[in-house]
Amino acid sequence: MGKDECKTMLDALNKVTACYRHLVIALGSTSDSQNLREELKKTRTKAQELAVANRTKLTSLLKDKGISKDDRAEYERLWVLFTSSVELLEVDMKRSLEIGQDFPLKVPRRHLIQTGMTGSTTTVAARAMSVQNMKYEADANIDTVDLKELETEIAQVDQMMEEMELKVQVAPWTVEAKQEAGAELKSTVSVGNSSVGIISICEEEPKETVEGETGLMKVFAGVIFTAVLLIAGILGYLVINL
Amino acid sequence: MTIRNVRDHGQRFRPRMACLKKVESVVLEMQDPKTGVKSQTQRLVITTIPHALTGEDIVAWIANRFKIDAAEARAMGTMMVAFGYIYPLQDHKRLMLKPDTSLYRFQTPYFWPAQQWPVEDTDYAIYLAKRNIRKKGMLELYEQEQYNNLYKWMNHKWDFIVMQAKEQYRAGKERKKPDRVVFDCQERAYWVVHRPPPGTVSAMDYGHDRMVDPNIEEKKTPDYYRRIIMFTQQCIMRPRVKSSVSIGALVKYTTTYKEHDPFLHACLPSNPWLTDDVTYWTLNMPNVETPTKMRVERWTFSFGELLMDPRGRDDFRLFLKKEFSGENLAFWEACEDLKWGAAETMKEKAQQIYKTFLARGAPRWINIDGKTMDITVKGLAHPHRYVLDAAQTHIYMLMKKDSYGRYLKSPVFKETQKKAIAPEQHRFTETQLEQNAKRRRPSLSPIILRQQEEEQKAKLAASGPVDITQVMSKLERKQTK
Repeated sequence: MGKDECKTMLDALNKVTACYRHLVIALGSTSDSQNLREELKKTRTKAQELAVANRTKLTSLLKDKGISKDDRAEYERLWVLFTSSVELLEVDMKRSLEIGQDFPLKVPRRHLIQTGMTGSTTTVAARAMSVQNMKYEADANIDTVDLKELETEIAQVDQMMEEMELKVQVAPWTVEAKQEAGAELKSTVSVGNSSVGIISICEEEPKETVEGETGLMKVFAGVIFTAVLLIAGILGYLVINL
Repeated sequence: MTIRNVRDHGQRFRPRMACLKKVESVVLEMQDPKTGVKSQTQRLVITTIPHALTGEDIVAWIANRFKIDAAEARAMGTMMVAFGYIYPLQDHKRLMLKPDTSLYRFQTPYFWPAQQWPVEDTDYAIYLAKRNIRKKGMLELYEQEQYNNLYKWMNHKWDFIVMQAKEQYRAGKERKKPDRVVFDCQERAYWVVHRPPPGTVSAMDYGHDRMVDPNIEEKKTPDYYRRIIMFTQQCIMRPRVKSSVSIGALVKYTTTYKEHDPFLHACLPSNPWLTDDVTYWTLNMPNVETPTKMRVERWTFSFGELLMDPRGRDDFRLFLKKEFSGENLAFWEACEDLKWGAAETMKEKAQQIYKTFLARGAPRWINIDGKTMDITVKGLAHPHRYVLDAAQTHIYMLMKKDSYGRYLKSPVFKETQKKAIAPEQHRFTETQLEQNAKRRRPSLSPIILRQQEEEQKAKLAASGPVDITQVMSKLERKQTK
């Protein structure tokens, strides 16, 4: 059905926008590199393609006069989702242009900000492009060359948004959200417990070392307890049998 | 979708943010591996993260770079932390630079405060949703309140916010562990700066947005020069006072008022803006029964202070009633009413005042000299707002030179002084301060206050001014008896 297609496409756009934001945050810091600039470019292109595809699909659905009221409400909700996504993307693109201009990579006197992030963002970009490994094939001065293209792309996105506003008359404040407050907690219950231990380090600093240590202690205690139980069980069995 | 008819493009400029570009260049200088700030590694339980700085290193670097002393360098460092260019790794809610071994780190350029990128509530909602996921629903109290608020008024975007939060959370997990920790700290630091927890002073408070960019140079058009010419001409025409005289006046003013200024001196019982406790305001209401000692002391500074304070004016009125010279104050109040009142009732008011106070044989006749009386009567032929100005000034000077001195020595004033209260200084603990902040309520509506004022005035009018003619006739009758 049209709705399911729309939803999958919107999910994809959402994913790429989120990854793009992560990449832009790394701009200008010590995890910046030529690779990052290339990743940004690729993610951006993909996001724009998805945006255009989404737009054509949704406009054609909304222009159809013969749909029911419920359907129309649903499409309007999807439209609001789409426009918010594209707005976020546009802001991130503008900011990446600015930061990219402020932090050219080849100039020796211009240092990158020592933010503590030193790893690469390959995995994030791979997630955005839905590939296993990223291939880097751009030339060495992508940071300056790319900026001009970025300007034209921003202008294109701006224009697209203006057209959308004019053509599609959807009042965003009439849309009601389907999710209630705290909905994000539900589907992420199975979120890895391994990450919790690490991230809790950032949380309560006075308890910083204690958190990690009590975690280890608990694991140790568990292991010892099971070992003792096993030994007691075996001894009991031997005593009974012998 | 936000309403995009107001195309922002950073056109709404924030006034005091012009310094941000300068701070950015300083931060860039700090990055130099040779001449910048020394960086260390932060050791956590399992991971080590590079690029941590100690507070003392930052202070030393700033002091060296700008050739200033340590205290000023510390203040400048605190400013950088308050703006969000550097964030503390321990005690992340207190945005100040401690010149010891506490650790700090630089913020990534995306999270720098920038003139043209206002902080969006959508981003804050996404951040709170992500935090909700991470802390499994256990947000801090103020964060929970903000979350509920945003859910209510950004409801149409909420699906997007939830989706985006989940996706950003999953994308974040793709990075290596140390980077993940750093990212969380960065984001949290950004939002501590831009959505400060209650009780913190934020460096981002800036007042109204301006429509003009304060950083651009103004073009030199003929209009601009015309403005400059007018300004300089007015400067030349300004009356000049010897600095010894003006400084003497300033010194006198500050020595008299320095204990009465809440900025410079402790406010008794406590400053409501600091402790959220409104006892100070309730004790100093305009129509309170017993004034505070500080208020009574202010009445002795000048006659103007006494008259401007409603409670002081009441006291003075009482004194004059005992002395049977209340008509002066009544006349002065009536003139004020005429000056500040509505234009429609002006003519009637002026006539009423003439009949009551100025005419020959009037019930409350005031004693003004012949010349002023002439001017006033002539002016009353064509009454306007300031027609009684001369008479009012005369009466004011009369009261100031004569009655005021006697008032300060009178038993009425001494009684009030004795009964005046001097409240104790409040000593609140941290928890009590938080409770006070939660218990804040709006004060009485101005409509109700106005009604109370009107009632007061009506009561005063009803209690009847002392009618001189009646008093004189009573005295005559007594004499003849």
